[in-house]
Amino acid sequence: MSAAAPKVLLIEDEKQIRRFVRAALEEEGCQVIEAETMAQGLIEAGSRKPDLLVLDLGLPDGNGVDLIRDLRGWSDVPILILSARSQENDKIDALDAGADDYLTKPFAVGELRARVRALLRRSYRNSEAATPVVEFGDVTVDLSRRLVSRGGETVHLTPLEYRLLATLLGHPGRVLTQRNLLREIWGPSYVESSHYLRVYVGHLRQKLEDDPTQPKHFLTETGVGYRFQP
Amino acid sequence: MKKTESQATSRPGRQSPIGQFALTIAACIGTTLLATPLLGHLDLANIVMLFLLTVLLIAVTLGRNAAVLASILSVLLFDIFFVEPRFSLAVDNIQYLVTFAVMLATALITGQLAAGLKQGAQEARIREQRTQALYELARQLAGAPTLERVRELAGHFVEIQFAAHVAIILPTDQPENDVPTSPTGATVRVEPHLVRVALDSGQLVRSDAVSELGLASLYLPLRASLRSRGVLAVDFGYDPGYLEAETQSLLEALASLVAVAVERLDYVDITQRKELTIQSERLRSSILSALSHDLRTPLTALVGLADSLSLVKPPLPATALDTALAMHEQAARLAGLVDNLLDMARLNAGGVTLRREWQPLEEVIGASIKLLGSALASHPVRVSLPPDLPLIEFDAVLLERVFCNLLENAAKYAPEGTPIEIVASQSSDLVTVRVSDHGPGFPTAKRDELFNMFVRGETESGKLGTGLGLAICRTIIEAHGGRIDADKMPDGGGASVCFTLPKGLPPTVEEEKS
Repeated sequence: MSAAAPKVLLIEDEKQIRRFVRAALEEEGCQVIEAETMAQGLIEAGSRKPDLLVLDLGLPDGNGVDLIRDLRGWSDVPILILSARSQENDKIDALDAGADDYLTKPFAVGELRARVRALLRRSYRNSEAATPVVEFGDVTVDLSRRLVSRGGETVHLTPLEYRLLATLLGHPGRVLTQRNLLREIWGPSYVESSHYLRVYVGHLRQKLEDDPTQPKHFLTETGVGYRFQP
Repeated sequence: MKKTESQATSRPGRQSPIGQFALTIAACIGTTLLATPLLGHLDLANIVMLFLLTVLLIAVTLGRNAAVLASILSVLLFDIFFVEPRFSLAVDNIQYLVTFAVMLATALITGQLAAGLKQGAQEARIREQRTQALYELARQLAGAPTLERVRELAGHFVEIQFAAHVAIILPTDQPENDVPTSPTGATVRVEPHLVRVALDSGQLVRSDAVSELGLASLYLPLRASLRSRGVLAVDFGYDPGYLEAETQSLLEALASLVAVAVERLDYVDITQRKELTIQSERLRSSILSALSHDLRTPLTALVGLADSLSLVKPPLPATALDTALAMHEQAARLAGLVDNLLDMARLNAGGVTLRREWQPLEEVIGASIKLLGSALASHPVRVSLPPDLPLIEFDAVLLERVFCNLLENAAKYAPEGTPIEIVASQSSDLVTVRVSDHGPGFPTAKRDELFNMFVRGETESGKLGTGLGLAICRTIIEAHGGRIDADKMPDGGGASVCFTLPKGLPPTVEEEKS
């Protein structure tokens, strides 16, 4: 971590939620800036240049998704969404607009802290030189040599499987929506063919997970997309 | 036929046959009386002309039968009163036989021609009038706003044209015998079997036998573009006897006009209903999401605040920490309860909208196990799926609810450390999934009610629950076209819930060349 405490902008209209989220963030050693409305949040984001944004999707003065779109025009700051279950479409819209992760209300404080840690770590790592070798479980992926091995043995992946793996590894801990992945790997004409993605994620789990039915690294975010958990 | 004519108001100028004959006889006698004083002044040939004129007039006014009668009467009267010897049928001069023959022939032929012409003109007039009426009806039906109005218009039409009553029977109507017609308030009794036959065959059905029982005797299907929309039953109130082709075609025209009107009203109805459904769905979902937001916001604060109490530094005393933990637990449970209630409200508010996608079953099972997390800590889940299980089309979010509810139930009732099993199998058109545990199982007596709302297996047990979980499962599975059943494991094991999902035709995923 850098010397200065990371700045986190918390945009949430409910005072009590702001209170415990603030406490949790300060526990993580963050400096917290609060905003109650979207308009205020946008101003704070511009003037204070936060390192992380924690955003409630249901704000009184507008849709949080619009704020993300606005923000992404000029900033790469990581964004963590707070949203209610049964708002899958809102989550997908927010993630497609550029949000990095989401938490479903109600959430445990421990979970919030873990997500915040991961997002902050990533924004620091992005500034460092990326390492070409990624390790998770007993799997090693050498992105520079396109080599995948598991427990010391080479695993053979098809070109599409490798592209899917590389895309997921490129965004550790981040939720990638189905549309996003389909567009990136199969092309824009496949965005509605979600079964392709599902079958190939299944292949990756078969080849790289200990128990493909209860995966530990290639996680499903039901109704939304996938997340690679190192 | 005769009765038809006597009743049909559309045929003016026709009296009863007896009246006709009386009039004919009177006219012939009148001619005789008129001609008698002229006997000395006129040639017999000219008197014949007077009789021929009478026959012609009778033919024109009274029709064909009267003309025939008048022809014969004229010849007889001429013979008796004018030809020597008078007042007898005998004839002095044989020549007069020729006169009689020619007179009879002329009278008959002119009578026939005149009557034919008149009838033709009359029929043309009736046809024109009916066509006019049909046009008028078509115009009115096109603007008829309700089915009642259609019934009324058709009733009026048949009343005026045929002095008959009509009933429009739609398949949606109750199968009752009496269908009142609006204009006269008269009741048309119909034969349900004949209605069915007409509806199913799409053909005109007629039974004179039932008309004697006071039932409508003619049934015309309302043929529309796609299917028969109903039946038009006509009650003539008498035995219609031979049905003229013209009458039949008029009734068929009426039936097709009514069919178009009924179909149009049906489409209008469908459109309005669809609009209403969309509106109410929009309203419902906005109410539910407002409710969901209002309920979840304080719960989120409660869970988070209780949670942060236990993370306070320096740590709270042990009793306070326990309280914080209990608060967190209760708040989380309340949140789960709200989830279930909102789910049930959403699903039960009618019209579950499924976001169906083709996907592997194992994925949603894995996600459910992950989602439950620590709740399954003391119950290992064993998943066994056939390796060749195809993709299935389902709504992943909803099916995740099903698995979560079933796994949660199993974890709640089965003793700690016992495994929970998820087993899938497939037949030609179904995939069957069984979730079973090693707990006490469902009470046998209640097994069928378990999937109803607010029913719990063990009412007196200390376990918490609302009895909504299985009801939600059933709603979701049935929305997918499947079935869900509760069972007891055969080997004395615990509870087992079994549900099916239809296989359908999964899309193909081309294998890439590696």
